[in-house]
Amino acid sequence: MKSRPSIFLGIIAIPVSALVFLVPFAFIILTAFKNKQQATLLDFSWPDGFHLWNNIVEVVTTRNWMLLTAFINSTILTVASVTLPVIFAAMVGFVLARRKTRWNGLIEFLILAGLMIPPAVVPTIWLLQGIGLFGKLHGPVLIEVAYGLPFSIILYRAFIATIPRELDEAAIIDGARPFDVFFRIILPLLWPVTVTNIVVQSVGVFNDFTNPLYYLPGNANATVQLTLYNFQSQFNTSYNLLFTNILLITIPPLLVFLFFNRHIVAGMTAGAVKG
Amino acid sequence: MAGLELKSLRKSYGEVEVIKGVDLNVEHGEFVVFVGPSGCGKSTLLRMIAGLEEITGGDLFIGDKLCNDVEPRDRGIAMVFQSYALYPHMSVYDNVGFGLKLAGAPTDVRDRKVREAARILQMEHLLDRKPSQLSGGQRQRVAIGRAIVRQPEVFLFDEPLSNLDAALRVDMRMELSKLHHDTGATMIYVTHDRVEAMTTADKIVVLNAGVVQQVGSPIELYQRPANLFVAGFIGSPKMNFVELTVEKLGPDSVTVSGKDIGPTTVPADPTSLKPGDTVTPGIRPHDLTDQSSGNLVGEVSLVERLGNETNVSLRLPSGAARLAVLDGDHELRIGQSLPLAFAPDRAVIFNKSGIALHRK
Ligand SMILES: Nc1ncnc2c1ncn2[C@@H]1O[C@H](COP(=O)(O)OP(=O)(O)OP(=O)(O)O)[C@@H](O)[C@H]1O
Ligand SMILES: [Mg+2]
Repeated sequence: MKSRPSIFLGIIAIPVSALVFLVPFAFIILTAFKNKQQATLLDFSWPDGFHLWNNIVEVVTTRNWMLLTAFINSTILTVASVTLPVIFAAMVGFVLARRKTRWNGLIEFLILAGLMIPPAVVPTIWLLQGIGLFGKLHGPVLIEVAYGLPFSIILYRAFIATIPRELDEAAIIDGARPFDVFFRIILPLLWPVTVTNIVVQSVGVFNDFTNPLYYLPGNANATVQLTLYNFQSQFNTSYNLLFTNILLITIPPLLVFLFFNRHIVAGMTAGAVKG
Repeated sequence: MAGLELKSLRKSYGEVEVIKGVDLNVEHGEFVVFVGPSGCGKSTLLRMIAGLEEITGGDLFIGDKLCNDVEPRDRGIAMVFQSYALYPHMSVYDNVGFGLKLAGAPTDVRDRKVREAARILQMEHLLDRKPSQLSGGQRQRVAIGRAIVRQPEVFLFDEPLSNLDAALRVDMRMELSKLHHDTGATMIYVTHDRVEAMTTADKIVVLNAGVVQQVGSPIELYQRPANLFVAGFIGSPKMNFVELTVEKLGPDSVTVSGKDIGPTTVPADPTSLKPGDTVTPGIRPHDLTDQSSGNLVGEVSLVERLGNETNVSLRLPSGAARLAVLDGDHELRIGQSLPLAFAPDRAVIFNKSGIALHRK
């Protein structure tokens, strides 16, 4: 039986968290329905009329359909910088967990360093210019991969350590080569971690504002987060368009989340109890 | 056709030597059992044969091929693990067919072989299930099925039955014997269950601390153990050892006596002995019988009546404890004295360093 205080706390917690999460969202939606004059007031009033469709059309067509290019860019960036770390991190985690050498300590230190050392923007730009990737989509892909790798490796390594080694050995006896062991036995078993990884990483990269800002100058390369600048300036901000834009670019992460939601929960608890 | 030959096989982990020079010949089609106490290196030796553990010294021949550096998949072996090691994300069908799939067998061949294996192991109705939906015994069957579809020359089993309950273990043991009979393949089986070893093996290899103590048929090991370790390890309950002094030497017998036993002449090879030496005769609990004329008298300290036989623990005059298994039911009081006799030719004499002195 639950005690009275815990029920009481639960009853309080639900509306409080609803308030914290839903109010900003409601504000975005309301503002997206308003016209420019009303939106400028930035209040919680009911929209005067239905302006959502006009807003959307204007947002999408602004600056020569920049939002569409941005969506394409963001998709490429996200897909590439989620797929690569997932595969590489799982491989590195596999080798680290399975093969004990005297380099392991050093490698683990480097991984931790990758997690802790703060990214330095200016040297990175120099480097990108040096290898001719500045202002191209490949550069930020590599950067996001580099940022994503350490954490993914740690996640994968911890999980692979819970997979019994005899599974690998059984596969080896069955005739599996190392790549077969990895792709046919280990990787499928890592699915819960992979899903968690995909969601965390893809939402992170998709919503990343600063890295594309630094490394992807120019309209042709804009990502969705950068399109927010279209409607915001020092003197003249169209809040209705800005919030419509926000609404539009919130949809993909939301879809990813809804799609993988069930798996994420499984991933967070998998390995806690031996199945 | 593949027998095995191990020539002074060694394995060390860094400084520690775990397998200390094992020589062994296994004929094609033999059922060989490795037994020994925990940590003696049975699994390590098996894994060296499988190719999962690198060989640090000596030669391993499978068939006529030197296999030291051959990949496991090319050794013609299959292995069944104690934990079954089934692939959790694959159905039973895919688990069994995994090896064939990797080998690139055509789908119809694979399907036929998988179904054939399932039929042999009576698990056709389980083919669509995942390992997590199976009982322990069924998982074991799948693990064995995975081994037999590959039609290996040599089967390796590492304590395959130790996770099963007692009744199921007996069933599976018989099934393995049948499988051995049907396939005619060589089988190497690791266990620390002596009964399992005695009942299934053509040949038992007794290991201790990485050294082979004796190789032989179960009955040979029981009747003519090579040393104290084997004598104590094979046979249940454990053999009784009594320290006695040599009185007299015959041409192929030794007369011993001591505090606990009056002068008794036991057949043995006397060449290395002289009167006055201390020796250790071993007497199996089953070889002791209660006879009023017996020259081994002890005080009863514990009685277990099983109906068909009676286990009696005795305290001897020297203070040593002994166990006798008497045929039939006996009503004995704790504390009463019980004279026992034994057939001297069933006893084995061990010298001071523990080596058996069998009559030539
Ligand atoms: N990776 C390793 N590094 C160092 N020592 C090891 C390693 N693996 C096994 N050993 C040692 O080798 C010895 C033999 O181990 P092994 O697993 O072969 O024993 P076993 O006879 O199979 O025992 P059990 O009956 O308990 O399974 C043990 O003393 C063990 O401590
Ligand atoms: Mg073992």
